[in-house]
Amino acid sequence: MARSTGKDAQALFHSLRSAYAATPTTLKIIDLYVGFAVFTALIQVVYMAIVGSFPFNSFLSGVLSCVGTAVLAVCLRIQVNKDNKEFKHQMIFIPQIAGPTTRASFCRLCSLQFGAAFGDHEFPWINLDPAST
Amino acid sequence: MAKLLLYLTLATSLIPLFSVAFSPENPTDRRVLVLVDDFAIKSSHSLYFGSLTSRGFQLEFKLADDPNIGLQRYGQYLYDALVLFCPSVERFGGSIDVASIVDFVDSGHDLIVAADSNASDLIREVATECGVDFDEDPAAMVIDHINYAVSNFDGDHTLIASDDFIKADAPVLFQGIGHSLNPANSLVLKVLSASSSAYSANPKSKLSNPPSLTGSAISLVSVVQARNNARILITGSLSMFSNRFFRSGVQKAGSSIKHEKSGNEQFLTEISKWVFHERGHLKAVNVRHHKVGESDEPAIYRINDDLEYSVEIYEWSGTSWEPYVSDDVQVQFYMMSPYVLKTLSTDQKGHYSAEFKVPDVYGVFQFKVEYQRLGYTSLSLSKQIPVRPYRHNEYERFLPAAYPYYGSAFSMMAGFFIFTIVHLYSK
Repeated sequence: MARSTGKDAQALFHSLRSAYAATPTTLKIIDLYVGFAVFTALIQVVYMAIVGSFPFNSFLSGVLSCVGTAVLAVCLRIQVNKDNKEFKHQMIFIPQIAGPTTRASFCRLCSLQFGAAFGDHEFPWINLDPAST
Repeated sequence: MAKLLLYLTLATSLIPLFSVAFSPENPTDRRVLVLVDDFAIKSSHSLYFGSLTSRGFQLEFKLADDPNIGLQRYGQYLYDALVLFCPSVERFGGSIDVASIVDFVDSGHDLIVAADSNASDLIREVATECGVDFDEDPAAMVIDHINYAVSNFDGDHTLIASDDFIKADAPVLFQGIGHSLNPANSLVLKVLSASSSAYSANPKSKLSNPPSLTGSAISLVSVVQARNNARILITGSLSMFSNRFFRSGVQKAGSSIKHEKSGNEQFLTEISKWVFHERGHLKAVNVRHHKVGESDEPAIYRINDDLEYSVEIYEWSGTSWEPYVSDDVQVQFYMMSPYVLKTLSTDQKGHYSAEFKVPDVYGVFQFKVEYQRLGYTSLSLSKQIPVRPYRHNEYERFLPAAYPYYGSAFSMMAGFFIFTIVHLYSK
């Protein structure tokens, strides 16, 4: 029984690899980008597990920006894939630019509220100190 | 009519005296009311009163049951100190009673109470209010068969020569009743205690049961310094102040040393100086605090600031303020409990200062100096100051612990840029 499942797993793996080799390069590039984003997120989680969650805001902004990039890249991949019939070609990439930008700004805004690492120097003209001139 | 005239002259003559009164700039008492049983005491104790007037006190002698005496009029105290040399008074005249004497002391004025072997209940009550308890037996005197003074006219060993204290040239003569102090009372202090061979009993009758007050638990002279720095002297012998004791020589039984003059005058002069605030009186002025490097006093500090606290302490020498030099004055940075307790360092001229770092706790703190030393007035200074936490832009700009996250953000930016170029411009 074990040997047949082992052989089945190997056969499955080979078929997956050959099917993947047949995907267009564009999609492979997108996959590579997604993998890079997830890998960066994973590195940050491991780092937080080692040293503890002290600048938690920084951790959140870092991980969330990576994961969000990955999600948006996956959306791009779905829309770019020629096998999906329902999407138009032209306006696909615009969300891909607007998305990460919004998400990064949102992450930085969240860190702003806790006043930690990337803090208030984002908007230096906003004066949060009531006592100074 | 004559009384009215007397009052008028008294009132008008007292007005200039108001300006020379007891004040924070000059803490020595000025006007002293002396209540006596009869005016013979004025002459039989003239040496003691003379020493007081020579130091600038204005003594006013009144009979204890004089119906015109009063400590205050229209809410203002007429005198700075009260001397009760009336051990046998049954009722004070005028508006003085035990409650008014207690109020007098509570408002910061000084008191000397001298009882004697026929002390009345009133005097005993005054003493009990002040924290000492005289022996309850009205005929008892302090008897000491070992430390008595040899004299021509006293054979029952009630004249005691006591030298149980430091720096006196000769023993002090005492003849009268003894008192005891409550050991739980922290404000009362025994100045002169009887030796361990003394006891308090009626010298004329045989002892039927052991005396209640014995040994060095008997205190002959005690002082009290109240929490408002009023000072009280209580003693059980009015004759200790008399000219006869001042002038007489002392020879202790069993010793061959014969002192020419007893130590009474020296002892009582020094004790009166202390009671009337001529010595041992401190004042603390000029409390300042500021950040290290600046000179003005901020209204609020921040946690982990370096600050410096300074105060000046002076001691009254009887005529002027001299710098007080000591190495054990401490300041506390206090909020429910002292977070910082630091000993102030002095420059030997009365200026004390200390530097410390504000603790890592925010809230409303107080700079507290609580200084209580034996024989000195107690200093209790407190200044409130708030401490705030960091402002948003006073934190570290870049935390070293978060460098990987900054790195990931930048790498994602770079990766995104490369990816868009590759994705858009490749075929």
